Amino acid sequence: MSWTLRILYALLTLFIVMNVGLLLNGVTRKIYARVNRRVGIRFYQPYIDLVKNYSLTNLVTHGVMFYLGPIFRLTSGVGLILFIPLIYGSQGFSNFSFSGDAVLILYFLFFGTLGMALGSGESGQPHSAIGVARGLAQVTAAEIPLVLSFLSVFIQYQSLSITEIVGAQQSGILQWTFFTNPLAGVTALLAFLGSMMRSPFDVVLAPQEIPIGPPTEYHGAFLGVLQTNRAIFPVAKTILYVNLFFGGAASWPALIPKAFLLYMWSVVVGTVFPRYRVDQSIRWFLKVPLALGLLSIVCIHFC
Amino acid sequence: MNIGSIAMGAGFLLVLIGLWGILTRTHIIQIIVSFSVVDTGVHLIMVAAGYMHQRTAPIISEGLAASDAPSLVVDPLPQALVLTAIVIGLGVTALMLAFALRIHEKNDTLEIKNIERLRW
Amino acid sequence: MVAMFNPIYFVVAGLAAAFLLTLFHNRERLSYFIMIIALSLMMLISLAHLASFLAGTGEIVQVFTAGFAPPFSINFQMGPPEALLTAIVSLVGLLSGIYLSEQLRKTGAYAQAVYIVLVMGMNAMILTRDLFNLFVFLEIVSIATVGILFLSRSRTSVNTGFTYMVASGLISVVLLIGIVFAYMNAGSLNIDTLSESLVMAGRGGSIAVLLITLAFLLELKPFPANGWGIDLYTSAPGALSALISAGGMSATYYALAKVLPVGQWSHDSLVAAVGGITFIASQIIALKQDDSRRLLGYSSIGQIGLLLVVLGFSEALGDRRDFIAAGLLITHALSKSILFYISDMVQDDSLRGWAALRRKPVLLVLFGVAAFALIGFPPFPSFFAKWDLILLLNGGTEGYYLLSAMVLAGSLIEAVYLFRWFSYALKLPHEDLPELASPTSRLIAPVTAALVLAGASWYVSTLVSGFSQSFLIPVAFILLVAVIDRLPAWSKNVISIAGVSLYIADLYPRIAGDLMTMIFAGIFLVGAVLTLLSGFYYKGRRAGFYPMALTMFAGLAALIEAATILEFFWGWELMAIGSYFLLIRGKKSMPHGLSYLLFSIGGSYSILYGFSLAAAGAGGVIAMSSLVGISVMPALAYSLMLLGFLTKTASIGVHIWLPGAHGEAVADIHFMASAILLKAGVFGLITVLLAMGSEAGYTRWILLALGWIGVLSALLGNISAAFQESAKRLLAWSSIGQLGYIVWGLASMSHLGWLIALGYSVTHFLYKGILFLAIGGIALKIGTPYMYKMGGLIKRMPYSFFAVLIAIITLSGVPPLVGFSAKWITYNLIISEQLYYQGFVILIAGIIAFLYLFRMIYTVFLGQLKDNLRSVGEISIWFRIPMYLLLIVILVLSFLPNTLLRPIGDMLSGIFPEEAIVWTGSRGVTSLGYFDGAMIMYVIVGIFVILTILFLLLRKQTQKVKQFNIFYSGEAPSRPELSHFSYNFFAHYRKAVGALALPLVTGFWDRVTEIIHAVSDFIRRIYTGNGQTYLFHIVLYVVVVFLVQSGGYR
Repeated sequence: MSWTLRILYALLTLFIVMNVGLLLNGVTRKIYARVNRRVGIRFYQPYIDLVKNYSLTNLVTHGVMFYLGPIFRLTSGVGLILFIPLIYGSQGFSNFSFSGDAVLILYFLFFGTLGMALGSGESGQPHSAIGVARGLAQVTAAEIPLVLSFLSVFIQYQSLSITEIVGAQQSGILQWTFFTNPLAGVTALLAFLGSMMRSPFDVVLAPQEIPIGPPTEYHGAFLGVLQTNRAIFPVAKTILYVNLFFGGAASWPALIPKAFLLYMWSVVVGTVFPRYRVDQSIRWFLKVPLALGLLSIVCIHFC
Repeated sequence: MNIGSIAMGAGFLLVLIGLWGILTRTHIIQIIVSFSVVDTGVHLIMVAAGYMHQRTAPIISEGLAASDAPSLVVDPLPQALVLTAIVIGLGVTALMLAFALRIHEKNDTLEIKNIERLRW
Repeated sequence: MVAMFNPIYFVVAGLAAAFLLTLFHNRERLSYFIMIIALSLMMLISLAHLASFLAGTGEIVQVFTAGFAPPFSINFQMGPPEALLTAIVSLVGLLSGIYLSEQLRKTGAYAQAVYIVLVMGMNAMILTRDLFNLFVFLEIVSIATVGILFLSRSRTSVNTGFTYMVASGLISVVLLIGIVFAYMNAGSLNIDTLSESLVMAGRGGSIAVLLITLAFLLELKPFPANGWGIDLYTSAPGALSALISAGGMSATYYALAKVLPVGQWSHDSLVAAVGGITFIASQIIALKQDDSRRLLGYSSIGQIGLLLVVLGFSEALGDRRDFIAAGLLITHALSKSILFYISDMVQDDSLRGWAALRRKPVLLVLFGVAAFALIGFPPFPSFFAKWDLILLLNGGTEGYYLLSAMVLAGSLIEAVYLFRWFSYALKLPHEDLPELASPTSRLIAPVTAALVLAGASWYVSTLVSGFSQSFLIPVAFILLVAVIDRLPAWSKNVISIAGVSLYIADLYPRIAGDLMTMIFAGIFLVGAVLTLLSGFYYKGRRAGFYPMALTMFAGLAALIEAATILEFFWGWELMAIGSYFLLIRGKKSMPHGLSYLLFSIGGSYSILYGFSLAAAGAGGVIAMSSLVGISVMPALAYSLMLLGFLTKTASIGVHIWLPGAHGEAVADIHFMASAILLKAGVFGLITVLLAMGSEAGYTRWILLALGWIGVLSALLGNISAAFQESAKRLLAWSSIGQLGYIVWGLASMSHLGWLIALGYSVTHFLYKGILFLAIGGIALKIGTPYMYKMGGLIKRMPYSFFAVLIAIITLSGVPPLVGFSAKWITYNLIISEQLYYQGFVILIAGIIAFLYLFRMIYTVFLGQLKDNLRSVGEISIWFRIPMYLLLIVILVLSFLPNTLLRPIGDMLSGIFPEEAIVWTGSRGVTSLGYFDGAMIMYVIVGIFVILTILFLLLRKQTQKVKQFNIFYSGEAPSRPELSHFSYNFFAHYRKAVGALALPLVTGFWDRVTEIIHAVSDFIRRIYTGNGQTYLFHIVLYVVVVFLVQSGGYR
């Protein structure tokens, strides 16, 4: 496949994913509002916000790292979507997944977090640092079920290649990892909650206490970049879960509903449950999710 | 029981008496005296060790030709040794007494319990 | 020629001089001159004989008195041992005579006469072959000893002298009775005739020998019947104690060695038991001691105990016995003399008083030489002696495993108190201490002793098989650098770099092609050059730094070059010395440097024990290959070696020295200590694991334990790092964690695991090098390592920030930098080797690393810049140069990870031939997955660049705002401290999992220390200070030993 074609596919992918992401964001906010008995925004409000933010004329910066922070963040989101094979069987929509396997994705997740944390750090805004400290502390715990469930899947399929893992689930719904390895599936769903920045694990952003955490000082076009990323990044993550646990997808129409439903899982939980403090959420992850995850490894190991 | 064994026994008895004295007397002069008793006991043992029954003193004189000496006299060596030992013992005792004098000078007492100690 | 130096002149010279002195007792200068002449004459005689024996031309000289051959006369014998021992005695006699010049001249000619007679008596005890003569000289020695005490007129010495007299009188009684009975049984007093006499085989003869043996044992002051002797050390002048400890002990020891072979029933085991008990007990008691002289007394007695063990195990040690005894004795005599001389110059008797030595660095150096010699560090003779001793004890037909372990345990305790004391001298405040009484004339004695010790060290090393002289070349270079220590630092730096570079040039052709060696040689030696390069930042002299840094690197190089386990051990110990002195240079490093050294010594003894078992299995062969397939207790041997090396990798359990020691070290030393020194432990582990293999059944459990140790080190090291306030301590804990990954990788005994371990060894060196130099440079620049006192430094130090940024991205394993490849291999390893549970913890530990990495870069470089740091400049250019050199390597390896991993993988295929990573260009493929370092880099950099360009195109008006212009409830924060979030950064995390970072291990070691000290305090209560009690001890000792020992004759 030629490089021009590759880049075109990459742009197309980004376009689709971004729109899916923006719509999901809008719908989610609508759902939140309705649960809270408000009317809520229009579902296309995220588009308007984006346009508005990008068109603000002024840009206040605190330094080079501050300036680059959002770009790091977006690089991570874009990179992530391009490293994941999105559509099973489609070489085009596998984009750059030939560069690395699932491990690449697991560690590339941190790229943006780190860049963003550093950028917001340069602003000298204490709330940013507090938010980052909270986020890092929480993620070490949330990673426990994530690593365990992923490890369980890798062991199950004896492969780190997402394409291979998806391929092995193609012969029917019952071949989905979620059903062949239910313990890992459940663990993964719990881990998913921890990574989606929604209640009860949204103490990182906690608008009431630390305005909006790490991005406090970002505005205008910076915020626009971050919002773009916020559209792409969760979708990418969701697609990763879909690929590993829910049979992946051979086409966009198959992918989007799956991603939507999985995404809604975090939304539903988020609307229902109140927020945890950091130490509480860490302890929570160290209880049931850890036990389930270990159990899934033990099962894979000995059964 | 010949005189050799008696001397040997007496020597050991003196050593034991002296030891008892060293360990139980607390006055330094008494300790020194006890030490002399031990020393004397040892000297006695040494002489007794060289003693052979019914032999004469190891002095070559008119009544004793040098050629007959090995079969007629007692072993002369322990006697020579005991002389050395006595001399050393004398020196030691003298030095001890000098120490006693100086201890009294420095501590104003001759009770071994009461002089200044270095410990652990 | 040697005939001129008839040994009888010892006595002639001694008595003649003593006689002359009484004639000239009112001519102060002349009498002292006569004394020195007589002492020099004695030394000349012994040296002449020693020289001819060393040259191989010497013959044993027998001197008969009164014109008869023995047994009818008294005879002196001058053989090699006598020559050596009289040389030691005469040397120390002369040196002490010189040292005491002032006192002796003041006390007068009589004291000088007594002194000469004392030295003469000691020499004659060594030379004589006649039992009664031995008794006479023994008496002369003890009378002369107390005679000098008597003349010194101090109160304590008079009181002590009396007890000493009575005690030695009692011992003489035992000796005399023994001699008489020996004569009764054999009709001879000549030791040689007695030895051959069959009559001595009888019961009476044996009891006679027992009594004689017992008397000499008591003269050597065995525990517990030795209160009278220890008091002497405490109260006598230091130089006299030196003579008693070095000369008197040697003479008596040799006397015992002479009479011991007499008789059929050997008392070897008695001697060994007495020695062993004395050795251990003295060392334990010394732990609680605070009086320096008394401490030296305990230590002397302990050393004699060890020598008795050597004597008692004559049979097992065979023809190496004399070598071992001589090595220990020489070291003991010379270094104890040095210490006693110094103790005399220090006016404050407590151990802390020795901090006054810092005013006279030469004395401090001498103290260090003596302390390291006593513990048996290279290059001193005791190092080789201890090596031989342990190897032979464990290597015979019946191994004395428990005994050798006890010897090492005793030595470890000795190391504890000696080095605690030494670190007091190095670090405690000395402003309030009294002046040193050290006129130059008093320095002659200790300096000469040290020089002789150095000469002896060189000579002894030539006698050892399995030790190449080429290892002495770096030592000579170090001595050279030490000599020019007065020059400014930069000149020494140039010389040092030149030296190391020359060494690299010489080494390279020899190791080219052996990748494993090349990797570690690169880390050790290229690291050496880089750290030395950063040393140019220092303005001034930097006294003592270069010799010690070079010592450490010489040790590391020796590890690489070692062809035998002895050479390996040499390097290991040399490295420990050097690194100890580097680590203790920090301001608050005293306790940490000490604990580092003690763990080092503990670890090296553990290694030594393992090595000795290996040599035992190989029938005494000590080539490196003897580590393979050990046949004597292999599981124990390998475990001990691994444990020893784990102390250097600071794995959990034996890690407690590291955070403090590294946390207090200066920047470039921190680099050496962490990025380089810790790899020595890795090298050791690799050496052992390669030899051990994983076939034998027991290896499974060892490897399992090793794996978990690595995993827990990684987890707990990383968690603890997140809780540190000091950036240096944070990095120190991080090293524990990083080394944990390496240990875990090695423990997997698989291709991928070792790839991780070696890859980490290299990359850890790279990124930790950057971090240490940057953080250390900043701490140096702003004068504090505490992160909450920093902040916003990106504005002042952009170059440092960028380097640190690259380093932490690499460390964290985030793509696209080289750290990611390690993470990728980790996943492959976990799945292919089924290391699920350990692997899971390792992965989580890796994520926890983000906590401390972010905390470090944020609180130091980001956030609010403090007012006092507004004008601070970049860190020294000499730090930035090595940093950026390392940075370039990281970037190259990130683009092309295959340049590092592929050759290592090819090499590992020779060890672990299983299928691993297949490389096509920069793309690596395993049976499980794939990654392409270059492609990842292109994609990520591509996206980043495109997005940046797009964003720049979008840009309208960019406004740069000031530091306080932030969203802050409408206020401008006036003080940066208020809005710099940094103290207790992860409070919530500590609340949740802080229990994992509790100092449980530290608590454990504290308890161990406490218990041993309590035992020490309990045992030493037997020394009540009452002379009569001490006499009772002697009597009781005789009775008990006699009953125990003669019980065997029935």
